[in-house]
Amino acid sequence: VTFLPSQRLRILVGSLLCVLLVLALVGARAYLDSPRRGLPYRDSFAKGNADEWKAFGGAWELADGVMGNDSDERGAKLVTGSPYWRDYSIEGDIKLLDSSGDAGLVIRSSDEEEGVDAYSGYYAGIRTQDNSLALGRAEHGWAEVSQLNATPRGIRPFQWYHLRLLAYGCQIVATAAASSQAIPTSIAITDRDCISSGRVGLRSYSSGGFWRNIVVRPITHQDLVDATADASRRESPEAENPNTDDSEFPGLHNLFQRGEAHVRSNVNVQSIGSLRLASVAKPSTATVRGVVILTSPVLFVQDSTGGVYIPQPEGPPLKVGDEVEVSGEVHPGDFSSTLKHAAVQLLWARTPMPAVSVTASQASTGKFDATFVEVQGRLQTKERGPDNTLILDLDEGSQSFRAIVNRGRGDLLAKLKPNSILRLRGVCVVDLAFTRSLTPFVLLLRTTEDVQVLAGPPWWSARNIIAIGVAVILLALIANFFYHRAEHWRLRAVLEERGRLAHEIHDTLAQSFAGIGFQLQAIRNRLPEETPTVHQQLDLASDLVRHSHEEARRSIATLRPESLESEDLLFALERCARHMVEGGAVQVISARDGDLRPMPLRITDTLYRIGQEAIANAVRHANPKTLSIRLMYDKNVACLLIEDDGTGFVQGGDLRGFGVRGMRNRAHSISASFQIQSALGEGTRIRIAAPLPPRVTLTTWPQFLWKRFREHRIHAQRTRNSDSHSYR
Amino acid sequence: VVVYWNAPTSEDDIEGQVTLVERVVSADYQGLVLAPDQALALITPVRRALSRGIATVIIGSPLPIPAGGNLSYILNDEEEGGRLAAQRVARLLHDRGSVALLGINPDVSGIMIRARSFEQTLARNYPDIHIVEKRMGSFNVPHEQQVVQETLTDNPNLDVIVALMWTTAHETLSALDTSPQGHPPKVIGFDPGARPPFHEQCLDSVILQDTRAMGQQAVELIHARLLGQSVPELVSLSPKLITRENVDSPEVRQMTALDWRPGRQSRSAVP
Repeated sequence: VTFLPSQRLRILVGSLLCVLLVLALVGARAYLDSPRRGLPYRDSFAKGNADEWKAFGGAWELADGVMGNDSDERGAKLVTGSPYWRDYSIEGDIKLLDSSGDAGLVIRSSDEEEGVDAYSGYYAGIRTQDNSLALGRAEHGWAEVSQLNATPRGIRPFQWYHLRLLAYGCQIVATAAASSQAIPTSIAITDRDCISSGRVGLRSYSSGGFWRNIVVRPITHQDLVDATADASRRESPEAENPNTDDSEFPGLHNLFQRGEAHVRSNVNVQSIGSLRLASVAKPSTATVRGVVILTSPVLFVQDSTGGVYIPQPEGPPLKVGDEVEVSGEVHPGDFSSTLKHAAVQLLWARTPMPAVSVTASQASTGKFDATFVEVQGRLQTKERGPDNTLILDLDEGSQSFRAIVNRGRGDLLAKLKPNSILRLRGVCVVDLAFTRSLTPFVLLLRTTEDVQVLAGPPWWSARNIIAIGVAVILLALIANFFYHRAEHWRLRAVLEERGRLAHEIHDTLAQSFAGIGFQLQAIRNRLPEETPTVHQQLDLASDLVRHSHEEARRSIATLRPESLESEDLLFALERCARHMVEGGAVQVISARDGDLRPMPLRITDTLYRIGQEAIANAVRHANPKTLSIRLMYDKNVACLLIEDDGTGFVQGGDLRGFGVRGMRNRAHSISASFQIQSALGEGTRIRIAAPLPPRVTLTTWPQFLWKRFREHRIHAQRTRNSDSHSYR
Repeated sequence: VVVYWNAPTSEDDIEGQVTLVERVVSADYQGLVLAPDQALALITPVRRALSRGIATVIIGSPLPIPAGGNLSYILNDEEEGGRLAAQRVARLLHDRGSVALLGINPDVSGIMIRARSFEQTLARNYPDIHIVEKRMGSFNVPHEQQVVQETLTDNPNLDVIVALMWTTAHETLSALDTSPQGHPPKVIGFDPGARPPFHEQCLDSVILQDTRAMGQQAVELIHARLLGQSVPELVSLSPKLITRENVDSPEVRQMTALDWRPGRQSRSAVP
């Protein structure tokens, strides 16, 4: 097999492109799997951005540059980073929100899911309960190495601590200090069968917490040595100077007195549900106990009989899940009550109560007013509300409702698509101040984590269907374009090949015939007149040579490619006819009717070939005086009429050798009708009516494509069935 | 004129009433007259009816949707109902005694309004009459039976029971009919479905809203709105205190008659 230079170039370019593509894929994979991709990492909490973090439990919210988890859930996690990170450190400032539980950092984390120790990785956290720095490995279970006496003054809630956790090979080191300048407490462990890579995370256990200034860096062995040295230096009794500024936390004092508060609590506690039967005519006060279900924008407390709204409470800072005792002025409402001028006493911290799963229809009755519920709905619209809130309008069945959520962590508004099915957890409120009479109830969500997308919008939305339709039309048009180009190229190749054959015949056969004729004539001229028989034979041979020469010229005329555009089809046929009748007495008449229309090359070529055959038949066999060529254009049809006034023939007689079958097959290949009318002594009339393709528009393209497809099939079938000689 | 008339078989079948409203909204009706069984659950269906341009009249108890546009209210004056009940109690007790207020149902806004009006009227004008028991009510008969029994057991010296719903009043009368109490409390009820059963000795009086006039005026109001005439956004009709003395008067007989076919009464109605 030999290749042309252009083919070689194409193969070379193609091979290079393939190699480059493979290299690009390998490079992209290597980049994505790189243990250093994305490092060093520094959080964007100060800019209000935490889109790259993913929550597993908890009530994570970003405010004032600090990431907070306002929940006492056990094992709430927030993770980010690459699963391929290997040797690196994570550090940041951490503040506990409770005097029980712990909060810290996770390293080399993978397989995370919601749950207590539901991840694989290493965790280091500071714990108030035993005043320790804890380090351990989680493998959907927990194995701990803890270090007591994390700082001389102990771990205290509402105070910032600086925590650093690093992993190098199978060595894990955790350090904690009351500030980044203080000498830290350290733990170093070697885990022989260690977890080699994973993401980073923030985690809390039975306590809320705050995190800030999170930095992840790649480390070297020297960093490990330095950190280990810190651990041994910790053995020295040097005192620390922790930041003990608690003044910014007015509730801290109350927090530590909670046991006392429990003792002093009011014994005349009544159920929250009973507040609705309080007198509306005479003001009264009441004391209730319940669990905090919402703190922002307003405080709601719930017990087993219902919930109560507490505007502007006096008391310690609260978080969801705290059990409190509230005393205030009762204002009964239709579905729930309000405790105004209320004093709130924190009894103890608990995990948030689970939501009651209800339908929107049930919530619309008001029976779940001021209670923590879980509702599903289909998102209709979303918008930004006042005070940095997001407002979601949803439908479920015959009911519509609204959800209001603090913007919180990440851009929830961009993530939620209309018509998605959402599950929302929040406090159901029927107060007109929230519903504005637009919906029967409003859900006040704690954080964006209370929004769960159960299913995205259906793909058959009007927008998608229009996009698919447009794409199909574009693809069809592109396919049609390429089909036409390919067909055009094929016909060009056929014409070029015919031209080459014509040149070959002209240069060899025709020239030889001319030479033979010349030689025969020369021989005849030199022969004496006394040999009449030889003269007759030479004349016969000369006639045969001349006839063959004319046949060759006719073949050349037939094969020679013409500039076949629709506008000069008639001219080409006329010229072909004049060539054929050259030197004779046949009169050639040509005419065109109708407005000239552009025709596809395929139709033009076919009409030209049929016209050639018809003209040749007339010239060879009919001995006409006049040969008429007419080309007529109608709206969707081009009609070619070849007419002569020659001898004609009997219709239904033997037409072999006239190329009629070939003409008919050619006509069928372009879906044209083919008619021959003739009678002895009355000439012959051949009519070919070829349908022209309509102008392709958005509405006509399917019909056009189907027609072309049918034509193509018919053409292919006839090509298979027909005698190849018919075309010659 | 084609009138589609329907109601759920049970007054607490809120889903049923929502479905009926949705059927009207999806069909080619020009007007909707609705006596809501639940204040909140009907907000969305009624808003959908209004967005479809259906002239809507809410009768009896209000919804928390402001009147205007295609929405009008023809309401029972529940404040007046509460006042009538308080004044009747004062008259029965000569300004001193104990009362139980039963059948407080937040589903129906009107009931809550009449409860507040009753309580405030007593507190303002009759300070020596005390409400010793307040209980929530529902359309559930066994629940109401239990509430009444507990009230009678807990308050053996009760003077009057004011039942804000007729289901509660009916169960109270049934309980008192079989009660061995020597001085059973008097009962004041609201909105009986038919002629009040004054053969029950404990029944003192009932306060009745004029549902016939509400229906009549609602249809007239929709008709006027369709003709492009201006219509009032809010019409308030006063309830009437029915006692043994006036129960047979022509006015009361008309209000309590159950035959609502056109021509049988002086005015026809479509609630």
